[in-house]
Amino acid sequence: MQIQYLHWNAAYGWRGADALREPAQLVLYFGGREGLAGGDRYRELRDLYPDSHIVGCSTGGQIHGDDIADDEVVAVALCFARTQVRLVDEVIESREASRACGARLARQVTAEDLAGLFVLSDGLSVNGGELLAGITEVLGPDVPVTGGLAGDGTQFEQTLVGADGEPLPNRVAAIGFYGASFRFAHGCAGGWDVFGPRRKVTKSEGPVVVELDGEPPLDLYTRYLGDEEAAAMPGSGLAFPLRIHDEAEPHRQIVRSVFAVDRNAGTLTFAADIPEGCTAQLMRANFDSLAAGAGEAGRQARSALADGIEGDKLAILVSCTGRRRVMGQRTQDELDAVAAELGDDVVRIGFYSYGEIAPPAATGRCELHNQTMTVTMIAEAAA
Amino acid sequence: MHRLLARQIRQATDETGQVDVTRLGELVSAAYEESDGDRRRTDRAIKLMIEELEQTHKRAEQDLLRAREFLDSIIENIPIAVFAKDARDSRYVLLNRAGEEYYGMPREEMLGKTPEQIFPREIARAVSEQDRRVVDSGTPMFLEGHLLEVGVNGHDRLVNSRKLLVRDSNGAPQYLVGVIEDVTERITNEARISHLAHHDALTDLPNRSAFNAALEERLEQAQEGSTSFAVLSLDLDRFKEVNDVFGHPVGDMLMRAAADRLAAEADGAFVARIGGDEFMILMPDDIRREDVLTLAERLVEVIGKELEVDDYLSQVGVSVGIAVYPDDGVDAATLLANADSALYRAKREGRGRVCFFESEMDQELRDRRLLQHDLRQALEQNQFLVYFQPQARMDGEVIGFEALLRWNHPTRGFVPPDQFIPLAEENGLIIQIGEWVLREACREAASWPRPLQVAVNLSPVQFQAGDLERAIHQILLETGLSPTRLEVEITEGVLIGDFTRALNLLRRLKALGIRIAMDDFGTGYSSLSYLQSFPFDKIKIDRSFISNLETTPQSAEIVRAVLSLAHALNMPVVAEGVETEAQRAFLEREACEEMQGYLVGRPDLIERYLDLIGVAVERRLYG
Repeated sequence: MQIQYLHWNAAYGWRGADALREPAQLVLYFGGREGLAGGDRYRELRDLYPDSHIVGCSTGGQIHGDDIADDEVVAVALCFARTQVRLVDEVIESREASRACGARLARQVTAEDLAGLFVLSDGLSVNGGELLAGITEVLGPDVPVTGGLAGDGTQFEQTLVGADGEPLPNRVAAIGFYGASFRFAHGCAGGWDVFGPRRKVTKSEGPVVVELDGEPPLDLYTRYLGDEEAAAMPGSGLAFPLRIHDEAEPHRQIVRSVFAVDRNAGTLTFAADIPEGCTAQLMRANFDSLAAGAGEAGRQARSALADGIEGDKLAILVSCTGRRRVMGQRTQDELDAVAAELGDDVVRIGFYSYGEIAPPAATGRCELHNQTMTVTMIAEAAA
Repeated sequence: MHRLLARQIRQATDETGQVDVTRLGELVSAAYEESDGDRRRTDRAIKLMIEELEQTHKRAEQDLLRAREFLDSIIENIPIAVFAKDARDSRYVLLNRAGEEYYGMPREEMLGKTPEQIFPREIARAVSEQDRRVVDSGTPMFLEGHLLEVGVNGHDRLVNSRKLLVRDSNGAPQYLVGVIEDVTERITNEARISHLAHHDALTDLPNRSAFNAALEERLEQAQEGSTSFAVLSLDLDRFKEVNDVFGHPVGDMLMRAAADRLAAEADGAFVARIGGDEFMILMPDDIRREDVLTLAERLVEVIGKELEVDDYLSQVGVSVGIAVYPDDGVDAATLLANADSALYRAKREGRGRVCFFESEMDQELRDRRLLQHDLRQALEQNQFLVYFQPQARMDGEVIGFEALLRWNHPTRGFVPPDQFIPLAEENGLIIQIGEWVLREACREAASWPRPLQVAVNLSPVQFQAGDLERAIHQILLETGLSPTRLEVEITEGVLIGDFTRALNLLRRLKALGIRIAMDDFGTGYSSLSYLQSFPFDKIKIDRSFISNLETTPQSAEIVRAVLSLAHALNMPVVAEGVETEAQRAFLEREACEEMQGYLVGRPDLIERYLDLIGVAVERRLYG
């Protein structure tokens, strides 16, 4: 596999490394919502790669190498020697249709030699948990699925996904990688710790928590954030994700962060369903523990990647917007931690998301995460 | 240099290597603010978390307290003594209210103390030994129904107790928990219920089922050992009258007294009350018939003695029937039936008798039952007749008739009154039959042209049961007979028993204008006190004295004495059974007022005496 890295800014337009010797099958790109809207970046890429699948999404910040950029658009073009790539996409009609949408996507990519699936989804109008449930329902537990939900900084207004076309809201794209040579490794970790008493989800409706211990959940967050920071909900709420413990599935490690607030009702909407009756506990983290968590994700991915790789290795880092918000200028620390684990020979690209997709080390079952760093490694084995 | 500062300097340095100090200042300042914000958030979270955890803790403590209070109130109020002790030194740490009652001391005197400080030395040692055993072995102790070893109620309580060891979180013995349940009442109740199942509640003698079991057991033994034994069936005579007349409380006392006498006298035999006034006695093995008879006669004698019950002097008798294994039966049913047959015979031969079973008794018993059956139909099928026997002054002038009941059975012919009247008295039919006779007699007398008197016999049973006064009144109204023409004849039996009641009834009848005659005088007890207590209108001397007038001088003396006594009391006398002119002459000489007997006329249908009642034969026949 050969990788060409390139990036765009307003001052210089697209610039990048040397062109590939062969045409790329796939181009991945990530940028701010405003940078991608309108489709200019897509069309410029299309001019550069007329025969490639071009897939991208809006973010809460782009990762390239050791840096984080908000104003630039980052991209990689991938040229596989023995791997086939298929790109499919779907429009999602409503949150409730998430599972059906996932199943439709999966049916389009499923094949004997499907070796991995990378998913980019709208980050606001999709129930991520249900989307993944629909996908794994069709593909079964053995096909690794990773990816992320598109972001919109800390604005939570609109997210865009583009698959061989202008990036638009309400889109889900999936890239299927086929063939025996394809190598797909992943890692996923958070670095958060629970604190305070366990609380009971006394009333919930899907992803909307109506009552925690009989009290509107917004009251709890307001107490913990202070009035000033609470005014910045849902963004400020990312500092306190919820650890969910479901009696029905005691081994699942579920972390959920706030996505939307209804200030009148005092309710909070989370990235996926939170069952009524389960236990919730607040989580918090410090800079060092978050960085250590990211390093752990890098270590998992790197150690999962077998030897005998031929050509370049790509790591796609999908980290949570919440982490970036908490870490501020220290966000760099988590990228450094991943880099230290992956080593110098891996090209790193990625974005800050509204939800991360990867099988956690504990269960191996593909899940939607919040507040984690996920690392997906793509490579090809020697013939 | 801090990693972040290095990064910030790098970010503030342009391509020429120039550091933009303003930019660097902004970055550093922002980092400080981020740090401050994070610290504030952390501080706040820690503070809130502590508050929340404190609240949670407090809530949990309150829940725990409530749960403890709940359990405490249960332990405090259960009616079983509960205690807990320190497992190391047996000091009491808990005692509930029932425990205080059990030990007979307030818990303040026990809590914090060892058994040695509380109980006498012997008890304390036993308690401590038990405690050590439970602690050392770790196995609970259960004791059921053992006698109380401590407690002020003395040693007369039975308790179930258990002690068990409670360990602390490290597994070391911590507490000994004990419960003590007073089961005295339960155990006594169980024993009482068992006793009641086999004993008669009134007399505490074994009951019918106990007797049956004993009889079966005895039969088995006798079959194996080829021994013999006797079964006695006993029936109290006149007990029913006592019950009816004096009421059940007195009857019960009399029954108890009679039972006590039986049990005392038949010492060594199995005495059971099998119902009502019936008893059974199972005699010891291989007792000779003579000895059985001796005992039975002694029972008759003892029971027949007057009993003073609740200020009443009462007298009952007992009749005894005896059947002997194996002669009179080899199974329980036969033995019992034959003992009963013997008893019936004894009763029929006059109460207060003892009879051994004889084979012909079977037939007699069957006859008797058949007769009783026929008796029930006799009234419906008009088999009864009223005969009239004239009564006259000594000069021969007929002044009235005695109405006499006769039963003309369709196949047996005329059944003697002394056979069927006792039967009718036994089964209560005498009430209806008596009323029928009274009605017939009154109706007949009311139709006579001459206003002659009519005498009707009343049974003691009629006095004891039913409303005799109302019945007589009703019949007089129905028939239109003047009460002054009616005379009722009663025997002493009427006055035995509830004397006061009988006397009141006689007074009310007399007040209606009815005359009262004392019948069969001279037989039975002939207690003179009866004559004193009621102004009888007549005394009838029993026929047995009259028929013996000429043969036994004593009879004449008795007749003379009765006559003088009656005259002294101003009571006219009727002599019954006058058959000869000599008898009439004797009686006239002795100033007897009236007579009745074959000399005057036999009992017969009234048609035979039409002339006496003033009906011309022609008119009667053809009118």
